[in-house]
Amino acid sequence: MAKITRDEVLKIAAMSKIAIKEDEIAIISKQLEDVLTYAERVRVVANVQQTEQLYKNVNVMRDDVIVPTDYKPIIEQAPLSIDNYFVVPKILETE
Amino acid sequence: MSSLAFATITELKQKLANKELSSRELLESSIARFNRYNQELGAALEVFDVESILAASTTTQGLLAAIPGIIKDNICIKNRIASCASKILAMYRATYDATAITRLKEQGALLVGRANMDEFAMGSSNEYSAYYPAKNPWDLSRVPGGSSGGSIVSVAAGLVPWALGSETGGSVRLPAAYCGIVGLKPTYGLVSRYGLIAYASSLDQIGIATRTVHDNALVLSVIAGHDVKDSSSAATVQKDYTLGLDGKLPTGLRIGLIDTMLHAEGMDPEIQHAVEQTQAVFTGLGAHVKRIQLKTLDNATAAYFIISRAEAASNLARFDGVRYGYRNKDAQTLNQMYEETRHDGFGFNVRTRILVGNYVLSVGHAGDFYQNAKKVQAMIRQEIADIFSEVDVLLAPVTAGPAFKLGECMENPLQMDLTDYFTGFVNLAGIPAISIPCGFTSTNLPIGFQLIGKHFAEDLLFKVAHAYEQQTPWHTKHPIGLE
Repeated sequence: MAKITRDEVLKIAAMSKIAIKEDEIAIISKQLEDVLTYAERVRVVANVQQTEQLYKNVNVMRDDVIVPTDYKPIIEQAPLSIDNYFVVPKILETE
Repeated sequence: MSSLAFATITELKQKLANKELSSRELLESSIARFNRYNQELGAALEVFDVESILAASTTTQGLLAAIPGIIKDNICIKNRIASCASKILAMYRATYDATAITRLKEQGALLVGRANMDEFAMGSSNEYSAYYPAKNPWDLSRVPGGSSGGSIVSVAAGLVPWALGSETGGSVRLPAAYCGIVGLKPTYGLVSRYGLIAYASSLDQIGIATRTVHDNALVLSVIAGHDVKDSSSAATVQKDYTLGLDGKLPTGLRIGLIDTMLHAEGMDPEIQHAVEQTQAVFTGLGAHVKRIQLKTLDNATAAYFIISRAEAASNLARFDGVRYGYRNKDAQTLNQMYEETRHDGFGFNVRTRILVGNYVLSVGHAGDFYQNAKKVQAMIRQEIADIFSEVDVLLAPVTAGPAFKLGECMENPLQMDLTDYFTGFVNLAGIPAISIPCGFTSTNLPIGFQLIGKHFAEDLLFKVAHAYEQQTPWHTKHPIGLE
């Protein structure tokens, strides 16, 4: 079975915006390898038979009606806010 | 007040109507049972105070007037915390009611608390709650199953007569079977997902836990039906699902017993025997039972695994520490804040599923894994559709064995994922299924079986399940020590 490298794990973690600790890397890479087993099985099965899309999703349309919403209870949930703005740490990283 | 503990909703409504019981007395008796048993059962994450429960009730009339129930902690109740049993939403208060909650309130139901669950509904044992595990009321050293463990335990232990849970791959039916009660997974789109915190949106559906089939049908009558706020909600009208529960089967009912499952690897002979025994009951009621094979079943777990992880990774991207929920306050930059917040806020199991999901969506030619899984899903749907031209309902086990010991599967998550084999294909097919008790093991642990129907065949499932229930004593058995 294919091996998942340490770099691949770090790349997925960065993409997922989840910090990963040194002792977690080995466990995660094992789990990603398990995925490949499932993926291979599904690939083989899916290629055996060309299936039509049986239940094709259809867009559900509705009128775009403005419904007033009080933003205050929503902004109050924010970990940090000023007036009606969400406050975040600085975005640009400097060396 | 212990006679109230295991009373059906119908019996409670009768007592209320006869003025033998006031709504406050009923509510207080439920809260008293939580106070007495919740510490050992871990069923609720929070039990609200009596005054606030009554204050939140907008009417004293309706199908569920004054009947207390508990809500899985991933369904939004306005002004209450909805934590998904996660640290990342520990202090999150819903600013609106889920549509199912709105409908329950309109019918007078009293919402007594937030039920424990596996974090973000990811798990089959309730051990992945970030707070504490729920425990099986039949044997406290065993899991109740998950992810809707707290909802199921609350009902099985006689703390409330009904509860809402949710299913993505079996999270209502599995614990219902482990704890000896009735658990419904409705057709995808029958119950609005508005206000249900998403795990895998194409599979998620609110489900119902009760001790009897009639009670389950009653609660579905309240919450089902089209909702403009959920674009995946089906164009169905609300109706009374308790009509037609007369203890009889439809004439000439054809039942397909899924033989493939009865002979699945690792199947416990006691479970196999109990499920096979149901055949005699149905035959006695006039049904034609035949054994059928499901060829695509072996691929369902793999397809379910890929689809659920991919959608979870996408859905859980919204928890970023900006607009609500937990934030790591030490981070100096935005990116660091995202990464540390999500590391600290999510449990390891949830983080792993997100990573796996993003891997599925990104590796190789982006989307190949997911698209292949969707093709397999289409094959499953096709096979199921073909089978329903030969039979009216399917009958199958819900689990390979009785509830396992706490900690037994924690070392081996793939072992736990195997529980999806018996239930996940139903979610992939989008069809309804109901788990019903059908006996006990020699060690007095509950056993369940499931009836599976075509899309929107809930009426038929209830009718068949009810007829079985009326012939058998299982729904009258309750855990010892909780009387």
